[in-house]
Amino acid sequence: MKRWLFIAAVLANLGFAQTEKLKACFIYVGPVGDYGWTNAHDEGRRLAEKALPWLETKFVESVPEAQAGPFIDKFVQEGCKVIFTTSFGFMDGTLEAAKKYPDVIFAHASGFKRAPNMATYMADFYQIYYLNGLVAGALTKSGKIGYVGAFPIPELKRHISAFALGIREVNPQASVNVKWINAWYDPAKASEATEALIAEGNDIFAFTEDSPSVIQTAAKKKLMSFSHYSPMHKFAPDYVVSGQLVHWDKIYIDFLTKVHNGTYTNKNLEKVDYWWLLGEKAVEMGGQAGMPINPKYIPALKAKMVKDRLTGKTVSVYDLVMSRWKAMAQAKPTFDPFTGPIKDRNGVVRVAPGKIMSIGELNSMEWAAPGIVGAWPNEPK
Amino acid sequence: MEEIFSALARAMAFGTPILLAALGEVVVERAGVVNLGVEGMMAVGALAAFAAAQTSGNPFLGVVAGVLAGGIAASAHAFVSVNLRANQFVSGLALTMLGLGLSGLLGNKYVGAPLEHPLAETGFTWAAVVLSIVIWLVLYFTRTGLVVRSVGENPAAADALGLEVYLVRYGATIFGGMMAGLAGAFLSLAYRPSWSDGMTSGLGWIAVALTIFVAWESIRAVFGAFFFGLLYHLAFRLQGRLPSEMLLALPYLLVIVVLTLAALRRRQGNAPEGLGLPYERGTR
Amino acid sequence: MVRLEFDPNPPGNRVWLVMGLAVLAAIALSSLIFWSYGVPPVTAYLTLFKGTLANPAGIAESFRRAIPLLLIGAGLSLAFRSQFFNIGAEGQLLLGASAATGVALFIPLPAELKLVTMFLAGFLAGGAYALIAALLKSRLGVNEILSTLMLNYIAVYIVQFLVNGPWKGRSLMGFAYTEQFPAAATLPVIGGTLIHWPTLLLGVLLALFLQLILNRSTIGYELRVVGENLEAARYAGINIGRTVLMVAMLSGGLAGLAGVGEAAGIHKRLLDPAQISLGYGFTAIIVAWLARGNPALTIFTALLMGLIFAGGDVMKLNLQMPFRVVDVFSGLLLMFLIGSEPLARYRLKFGRRA
Repeated sequence: MKRWLFIAAVLANLGFAQTEKLKACFIYVGPVGDYGWTNAHDEGRRLAEKALPWLETKFVESVPEAQAGPFIDKFVQEGCKVIFTTSFGFMDGTLEAAKKYPDVIFAHASGFKRAPNMATYMADFYQIYYLNGLVAGALTKSGKIGYVGAFPIPELKRHISAFALGIREVNPQASVNVKWINAWYDPAKASEATEALIAEGNDIFAFTEDSPSVIQTAAKKKLMSFSHYSPMHKFAPDYVVSGQLVHWDKIYIDFLTKVHNGTYTNKNLEKVDYWWLLGEKAVEMGGQAGMPINPKYIPALKAKMVKDRLTGKTVSVYDLVMSRWKAMAQAKPTFDPFTGPIKDRNGVVRVAPGKIMSIGELNSMEWAAPGIVGAWPNEPK
Repeated sequence: MEEIFSALARAMAFGTPILLAALGEVVVERAGVVNLGVEGMMAVGALAAFAAAQTSGNPFLGVVAGVLAGGIAASAHAFVSVNLRANQFVSGLALTMLGLGLSGLLGNKYVGAPLEHPLAETGFTWAAVVLSIVIWLVLYFTRTGLVVRSVGENPAAADALGLEVYLVRYGATIFGGMMAGLAGAFLSLAYRPSWSDGMTSGLGWIAVALTIFVAWESIRAVFGAFFFGLLYHLAFRLQGRLPSEMLLALPYLLVIVVLTLAALRRRQGNAPEGLGLPYERGTR
Repeated sequence: MVRLEFDPNPPGNRVWLVMGLAVLAAIALSSLIFWSYGVPPVTAYLTLFKGTLANPAGIAESFRRAIPLLLIGAGLSLAFRSQFFNIGAEGQLLLGASAATGVALFIPLPAELKLVTMFLAGFLAGGAYALIAALLKSRLGVNEILSTLMLNYIAVYIVQFLVNGPWKGRSLMGFAYTEQFPAAATLPVIGGTLIHWPTLLLGVLLALFLQLILNRSTIGYELRVVGENLEAARYAGINIGRTVLMVAMLSGGLAGLAGVGEAAGIHKRLLDPAQISLGYGFTAIIVAWLARGNPALTIFTALLMGLIFAGGDVMKLNLQMPFRVVDVFSGLLLMFLIGSEPLARYRLKFGRRA
């Protein structure tokens, strides 16, 4: 009986799907069960569906990059009105599809190409990396902090530089040592890169890779780490200090609501580019929701006193983190880590005194902040 | 000094799954069967181990499940290549496809699930080293070893002597599968510890390469695995000074070099004479 | 009484019958696996049918997937016919795609010569890569299955090195892709689909041409003799080494052409090796096996496997099954095909032992 119901459901899905609801469809690059990027997007999709009664969603996971087009074709055939593509590699495929289906609305995550019916969106972590940096700088004993990076792209360079700026603010001698694994998901490489960093004397770790491998590898050696993308606190409750969390649902709900009420149409998306940060609550600091810093490490942070370079007062690192966090977590932030004067690691001035980096500059950032050690492809001279 | 020591320790940890699987393949090929399905058996073993450990909460049960799953997967290869006398190389390839496919399909629900009680890497490493010595002893100093080797070298003569060629080849193939399953269990229970599709990431093929690289000698396999593991580790240590792709490709290149050198010396190295050839009673 | 009797030269129709049974067995066992995954086989096959054969977009996808399978399969069927087990098509495809990228991006050529040169370069690169294994085999007796397998991995790292290093595109914000090919270096597609028809046409023509060579030329004759009986070939004075080299060049070259098609027709750039080919080089082994060494028949068998690839996408979309179902089915099919091969050499005999 159950089986027949299932068959009927599948048939209904294939043939006569009803389209009264707004149908939004998602194309993912990885498996929804990964511990990072795709899982976070799927979480956002589910929360949006829960929050918006008029919304109906569908997704397809682990789509190879060249397959974006054919899957978009299938989704359009099934009556999807809004299609989200969630990988940089889908950019050209999405743009082509936007031209092919002018009546369908597209939104592409992390890219830079738009069209009248194609918007872009991104929830960015650079502020949080800066906050994590303050914490890491205060807790390191060896003065060497390890970073396992996926690919040397501006997004990661921005994050690692923000991390380094935070570290150097409380610990001017400390360094961030970077290893690239050239993969978004490769637990073996991630743990081996961590081991290499451990061997080189690093004692705290942050990373970009869609699995908790770095955390687990570090914890085996009783070393601290920062969680990335998903709540990874539970994989090493004693060693995960903090981390970065994303809430894609904030963007999805906003975007879909505006499509539903007619604010966004297939004609006016050319300039719609979401760049959501702490202020919009699209991102959060912590290794799990609601816990910005692991309580286990709060005493150490409260004990360490530094001079706040903005006010000149001597405060604990804990208070410094909280005051910086407050300054950034509002609609109009009163603080930005990338405020000049900032020199790169080769001594070249990259941000003039008093200037704040623009979104465009952040998105094409190639230089490395002082304190970063390691290969840095495309580094400007 | 400490740096060197830590690099060597990492080399051994990464070398462990390759070593375990290669030890199995050494025995299989010594009995005259080639099984290119190591990657697939390893994947099946990794999933079975993880699923069992996850549901029972007992990682040792996971190890048993991984070993069994690898053995079962190998028996398919044994049937096709020993009984049906089909092309062993292609059969192994099919086993790899099937193993990766099955584990990816049935393992879908375990992706991202954490493992509460992972096992220590070092236990597997020492077990692998001990096993390599045991296999060497058995192969060269016991009757069983003699039987396996004669079946691999000259199945017709072995048959004439009254040895059970089919049975020996079956046993060796299944043993090889169990070792590959153990290697998979190491990956999903100790090295990672978690399950994801494609987590064997080519280690099975490196094990096949290692088997040839060490000329079918189990003791040498320890050093070979160590060496391959070191290359992998150095790919990260030497970043910025050397393209990591170069070091990662080196094991495969070395296998071709070793095969060529052996051929240049006008002999198949240490390769068992009857390797890869199906045997049928009554022929030759 | 019924018993089995050995028959070294089975008649054609029995071979095809046994093969058909092998395919059915693979389908049956796959059903069991679908069931254990929680999807009723009827639903699975119905979904598959609706999404592929009963849907124009599905048919287009099957054709698109069949293109590389056809080119590689046609070459491999020739190689298998002469007992040169080229398992390295995946690597040869990657090298072909790399060579095409090199021509497309870095060699200034008049627009009308661009694509022709790319195909030529792809053929030569793929062929030369296969030639390494062929030379080692014919001169030294190195097992080509092992050498071509290893060469696959080396090709993967070559491509990774190129897209992460010297060939990385400046306009892609550091992502590991080359720049997009100029328009003159991309292949036209049939409107609304991804079928890059020039490659498809090339594949069909080459498959027919290879069949012609195999059946009607001296080279083809020599090739068949080498494959069927090495002793006889030696006795007849056939240059075995040369035959092996030629077969390698052809089958590697065709895999290289498939790589050119994927690069210039689908991706329009070079990118991560796992994205360029979705295992076409291995699936093409099944294509060649199903065609029983007849290049012309790969036109149909490639389409069949293309259909299964497209079906994998449909099942992923509508049943949330991982794309790995394709590997499960392919693995089972290959296993049954080679397992049944020797079975065809037996016949059922009724009556008493003679």
